[in-house]
Order: sequence, then C-alpha cells, then structure tokens
Amino acid sequence: MESEVVRTEMVLAPTLPFKKMQTADKYPKGQSRGRQWKHLRHLLQSADASSMPPDRPNYMNIQSPPSIYPPKRYCDLTGFEAPYVDPRTKLRYADPEVFKQIRMLPDEYVQRSFFLPLVY
Amino acid sequence: MSSVTRPRREADFARFPSSTPIVIDNGASTFRIGWAGEAEPRLSFRNVVQRPRHRSTGETVSIVGDTDPSLMKFFDCTRSAVRSPFDDDVVYQFEYMEYILDYGFDRLGANSEVGHPILMTECECNPSFSRVRMSELLFETYGVPSIAFGIDNAFSYKYNQKLGNCNEDGLAISCEHGTCHVVPFLKGQPVLGACCRTNVGGFHITDFLRQLLSLKYPYHMASITWDKAEELKKEHCYIGLDYMAELQIFKNNKEEADEKMRYWQLPWVPPPKDEPPSEEELARKAALKEKASQRLRDMAAAKRSQKIVELEKQLSYLEEVMEQLDEAEEQEATAILGRSGYLSQQEIKSAILKATQSLRKAKGESNGNDEKTDASAADKYPLVSVPDETLTPEQLKEKKKQILLKTTTEGKLRAKQKRAEEEALREKQEEKRRAENPELYLEELRSRYSELSEKFEQRKRHKVNGGQTNGNHSSSGGVGRGERLNAAQKERMRLLASAAFDRGKGEDTFGMRDEDWLVYNKMSKDNDDDSNDDDESELVRIASKLQEIDPTFVSKSEAVQLTPEPPKIRHSPQRITGLPLESSGSAALKSSSSQA
Repeated sequence: MESEVVRTEMVLAPTLPFKKMQTADKYPKGQSRGRQWKHLRHLLQSADASSMPPDRPNYMNIQSPPSIYPPKRYCDLTGFEAPYVDPRTKLRYADPEVFKQIRMLPDEYVQRSFFLPLVY
Repeated sequence: MSSVTRPRREADFARFPSSTPIVIDNGASTFRIGWAGEAEPRLSFRNVVQRPRHRSTGETVSIVGDTDPSLMKFFDCTRSAVRSPFDDDVVYQFEYMEYILDYGFDRLGANSEVGHPILMTECECNPSFSRVRMSELLFETYGVPSIAFGIDNAFSYKYNQKLGNCNEDGLAISCEHGTCHVVPFLKGQPVLGACCRTNVGGFHITDFLRQLLSLKYPYHMASITWDKAEELKKEHCYIGLDYMAELQIFKNNKEEADEKMRYWQLPWVPPPKDEPPSEEELARKAALKEKASQRLRDMAAAKRSQKIVELEKQLSYLEEVMEQLDEAEEQEATAILGRSGYLSQQEIKSAILKATQSLRKAKGESNGNDEKTDASAADKYPLVSVPDETLTPEQLKEKKKQILLKTTTEGKLRAKQKRAEEEALREKQEEKRRAENPELYLEELRSRYSELSEKFEQRKRHKVNGGQTNGNHSSSGGVGRGERLNAAQKERMRLLASAAFDRGKGEDTFGMRDEDWLVYNKMSKDNDDDSNDDDESELVRIASKLQEIDPTFVSKSEAVQLTPEPPKIRHSPQRITGLPLESSGSAALKSSSSQA
C-alpha cells in the first residue's frame, strides 16, 4: 500500500480484533455477492404473506396513500405554472415561447423530460 | 457533505465501564456513533461503502465513508460504485452494514471486544426481517451483550420535551434521506398506528435538481454529479413558504429575481491559442520545404538521366542489329534475329521508333503534349473531311459516328461558353446596381437571404419532422400508422401501392411520357428535387456576397459562437424546493435528524 493511503487509514483492515468472525470468512472470495441480496420490495412481498395482525401498524401500513388533491401543473421546461399541454409530446408549457422551444427539441430531450416530474 | 478528513481513532475506549451503552444512529445518509451520556457523537460519516480494487496489489479493499479524491487514484473504481446498505430507510444489505459497523467500532477504539450494550436507531415500523438480521449481525459477529432499537424521531421528541421545546402532545415531522415521516405524539407516546410515511426525501430532491440542471445544460452533464447537486442544494437552495408567490417573483419582478439568482462558474480551461508562427519559424519552414523539393527534383533528374541512358543504349543496340541485318546474308540474318529476340525487321524498326520517341520525351517533356493533342484531334475525326463517295459502308458508319461525336463536344463547349458569358453579364449588372444604390441593394440581398433561409429551414424541419417527432409515440419510426400521419407520406404510400398493383389488363403505358418518371421523385423518402439544389446554391451565393459587403452580417450557421468567457449556470427557479410542508394545527413542530 502506498504510504499516504496507509497514513490516512482509509482502507478497512481485513481482520479486526473485536469480531468473532471475520468478513473474509463469512463472504468467501469468488462468490458473487451482489446476487445474494434481494431488493426491499421482494423482501416485503415475501414477508407479507406471513401472519401479521391487521390492526397493528407495519411497514406497509404506514405508507401514506396518494394525495387526494389534484396535482399541481408545472411547466416541464421553465418550472412556472403551466396550464397547457402540447398534444404531440405531452409536455407541459407555460408560454408560447416555451412552446416554440418544445417543438424545436430533438427527441432525446423529450424522452428525458418525461422522467422529470416527481411521480408520487 | 464531503468530509475529506478521515476521523482519527479514538483512544479512550477502555475508559468506559462495560455498562455504558454505545449509541449508534444508523441513518440513511450519515452514520453516527458515540457514547451514551455525551452531548455529541464521537464519529459521524457518510453511510456508504465502496469496494475498489487496489491497483498495485490487486486485492479488493473496502472503503467506508467519504474519501479524499486525490487518494483514489491508487484504486481502480471502475467496477465498484458507492453503495449503501439502505433502501429507502430500511437496511437490507447486511454485508455493507457489517463493513460500516466494522469501521465505526474500529474508529471508536474497540480493541479486544465490543463489550458494551448497543442502542441503535431504526425507522418507524422497521420490517422484522431487517431487525432480525441486524440483531443477528450484532450478536453473532460482534458479541454484543445487549441491544435496544428505537425510532430516531421519538428520541428527538423526548429530548425536546425534556428541554421544554414542545408539549407532551405534538407532531414530529422528520425529513430524512429517502423518506419523510409524520408521527403524532399523545401524552408523550408516539402513536405509530397513525404515523405516515412518504417515500420522498432529500435524495430525491437532489436527484431532481441534478436532472433539471443536466437537462438544461446538457453540455456540462459530466460535471453535474449527484454529489455536486447535493452541495448546491445545501448551500444555495431554500424552502419557499409560498411557492406560488415565489414563482410570481421570478416571472414578473426583475430585481428581486436577480438577487435570488445564483451563478455557478464551472472550471474552465481556455483552449490553447494558436500563436501565429514567428518569423524564424516561417523562414525555417520555408528552408525545409525548399530542401525537400530540391531533393525531389534531384531524384527525378537522376531517374530521368538514368532512363535516358538506358534508352540510348537500347537504341544503339537496335541500330546495330539493323546494320548487321542489312550487311549480313540470309542465314546469318535469321541467327542475328533470333539472338536479338525480335521476329522480323519490321519489329525492330518499330521498336527503334518507339525508343526514339520515348527518348525524345524524356529529354524534353513539354513538346510532346501539344503534338499529342493535335494528333488526337486529327486522329479522332480523320474521316470527317473525307468526302462520302470514297468511303466503304463501314467507313461511312465510322464517319457518321465521328461527326456525331464532334458535334456533341463542340456543342458542349459552346454551351459552357455561353453560360460563362451569362454569368459575367449578370455579375456586371449586379455591380452596376450596387454602384448606383448600395443601400437598396443591401436591403434586397438581406431580404432575399432571410427568405431563402426560412424556406430552407422549413423544408429541413419538414423533412425531419415528418420522420422524427412523429416517431415519438410509435417506437423508432418503423412501419405503422405513426409513419403515415403526414399528408406527404400518405401520398407516398398511395403512389407506392398503386405502382405495385399489377393491373394486368390493358397495356402498361407508364413510360410513354416523360412526366411519368417524375412519380419516382415523389415516391422517394428524401424528396430531393432539383429546385432544392438551385435554392441552396443561390443561398450560398448570396451569403458569400453579403459577407463581402455587409460588415454586420453573420451567417446563420456561425451565429452560435463559443463564448470565450467561462460558462455560467443560471440557477433561479430551481432553487425553491417544491415540497410545501403543510403545517399542522397543534402546538409544536419538531423535526429531527439531518436532511431537508
């Protein structure tokens, strides 16, 4: 190891004295670790079937339902209030100038703009 | 938050009796660890792990928390991203959790064993699988005597209640890294049945900012990283209490909006300026060129002289053979012929002729060309001048062909000349007009230019639009209804269909008239007619003219100049976060934890 790396102690030591079992033994080299960890939603789905009393709160219960208010409409390009929608690309715009810009946008921008608004 | 200085190892681990709990605040953004009873945590670092490969040794190492970017050059980070054990607010990757805990305990100073009770925080209603694995990890790998889990908002609320900042009934709103929670408290106890979670947090806001910026400034997409956006958010963004009013400010009011605007200057490296080469440079280059050309000339001369020598040799040899043949008798003649490699005297004679010709060419090159063209001109139409009666039928045909050729070439020449004359005439006329009334001429030119460029752009857009943006909804513009929405394309399809349809009965009279073939023009997708090219050439001509005479003219293509100043990024409406938190009715709002 280079001296400055050692000096800053940024790297985790492979064995630590206070551990009963070292990570190297627990996760032997060669096994691809990434695949072992299921994502949260899979874990939640698989846990859902088990007996959970319906009246007690659990992780899924406390998730808030979607908002009952209608969503506010903001322009996709400038961020101002936008009551209008471009029928061809379905983007929202606030002004005629913004509309002109939308029409001049190449395709990829339109695709990316779709991911912008926080969908919740 | 880039803490580049790494925390030092604490030295006083042994000082604490084994009953003192270690408190761990395991948050999605930061990990804090410290001793119970103290005011501040001993350590706090970003709750991430990366496992790059060390370049020289080749082993994979783990690095927890933020790192000094200059030290990262020793590591190969291509296959290791920065990972977090969290997903939203639940721990699900316990391998990384283990690395982080390793690091935390190590920095806290643990030597032989972590023999203290642990108090750990978790999220509201932490799913059991997460808690199970966490306890398993702590008990079995670290040998911890006892663990307690708690919700971080509740701790904060109780603390503030003790301090007197809030009553025993209240609402705790906590905005975390990946989620936001709202927990009501009644009589000092959290009512978990009524708490609510939203899966939007600081992370999503930063990501939103990053996407907005990179959409607006795609050229700088590489420098707008998530970390950079986070930094910007923390330093320059604020929560607008009345979002609509703030928007109005930016829309209408210039001064206030300008005040709120922030300029972000990216590091800019000026392009290396090409200095005009100095005198000596030029002289040196010229000398080099001279030398090179001289060398080439010498080589060519040497080759030529060599060739001349060879040819002369050959010529003399052939002439010798001729002489011998003339003097010798029959049998000897055949023997000589056999030796020289030629079959008859004629051949030798023709060889001599060729050799003398090439010799002459090698000696003096320019003369040969003129002779040749004249010769070819005469050769091409030798029969033209010969009167008809003396020729045989084949020769007559030949003569007709040659007449045809001659007339066509002459006609072409004449047409070219006429065109050149017309051009010259037009030029003269324009010059005269310009001399008379320069202003008007300029105006006319400008208007014509703008007209043409409009038409051009429209046509281009038409071409592109017809194909591209219609393909927005239908995938990749393939076959399908999406392609035929344009009127022109409908026409095209109709033509194609009718052309392909085999009529069968009646004669096919398609090619009889010349205009029929224009149908193919319409059918083709590109639709490049000749009129396009004419317009284009005229556009170019006018552009060049304008450039000469009009000092303020900038052609459309050059209008987008690379500014020499460093690029600035305007940062105004994005500054206001769009999370209008609704304030509740009752007494105190207390938000716990870090992010907002």
